[in-house]
Amino acid sequence: MTSVLYIGSVNKPNPVNTPDFCSPFSGHYSFKKDIKLNAWFVVAAVFYLVSMMLAKRHPEWSVTIRATFALVPLLPGLLYVRSLMRFVRGMDELQRRIQLEAWLFATIGTILIGMAISTLNSSGVHLERVENGLGMGQAFIIAFVLWIVGTAVANRRYK
Amino acid sequence: MKNLLRELRATKKWSQGDLADELGVSRQTINAIETEKYDPSLPLAFKIARLFKQPIEEIFKAEI
Repeated sequence: MTSVLYIGSVNKPNPVNTPDFCSPFSGHYSFKKDIKLNAWFVVAAVFYLVSMMLAKRHPEWSVTIRATFALVPLLPGLLYVRSLMRFVRGMDELQRRIQLEAWLFATIGTILIGMAISTLNSSGVHLERVENGLGMGQAFIIAFVLWIVGTAVANRRYK
Repeated sequence: MKNLLRELRATKKWSQGDLADELGVSRQTINAIETEKYDPSLPLAFKIARLFKQPIEEIFKAEI
C-alpha cells in the first residue's frame, strides 16, 4: 500500500508554481495559492497602517511602546519573505530563471533611477516630488513596475 | 543545443502539457526546450533521458 502511494505521488507531482497562479486575469488563477503567497503581505500592510495611525494619535506614549509598534509589522513582513521564498522554490527551473532575470532587472533599474535622480538633484536640476531623492514608497513602485516589465521581457524570450 | 524532445514526445502521443506533468515542470519549459531557446539543467536532462529510456547524448546534441 505504501509503495502504491509512493509511486502515485512520484508519477503525479504537484503542479509547479508560476506567477500566473496569483494573477487574476491569467486564466490559471488559484485563490488558494494566492492566499498562501500573499496573506502575510496583507497582514504586514494592515499592521503597518495601524502602527502608523497609533503613532500619530498617541505621541505621548513612551519611546519603548512607540518603537515596539513601529517594529511589529516587521514580523509579518519576514513571514511574507518566507512564503515568497517557498513559492519561488516551488517553481521549475525556467520559471526561477525568468524570476531571477526580472528581479535583477527591477533591482538594478531601481538603483540606476535612484542614482540618476540623486545626480540630477546634486547638479541643480530639481525634479518635482523627488527633490530629496527617491523615497521608500516611490522606490517600491518603480521596482514593482520594472519587475512586471522584466517578467514580460523574459517570458517573451522563452516563449 | 539541438534535441529530439519533440520527436520523442510525438512517439508517445503526449501533448506538451502531458510531458510537463510527467517531468514536474511547466508547459512553458517543455516548449522552450523543444524550440531550443532553453537548455535544461543536468537533473532535468537525466529525468528526460530516464523517461524516454534513452542516453542523454542521444537526446541532446551539442552544436559544435
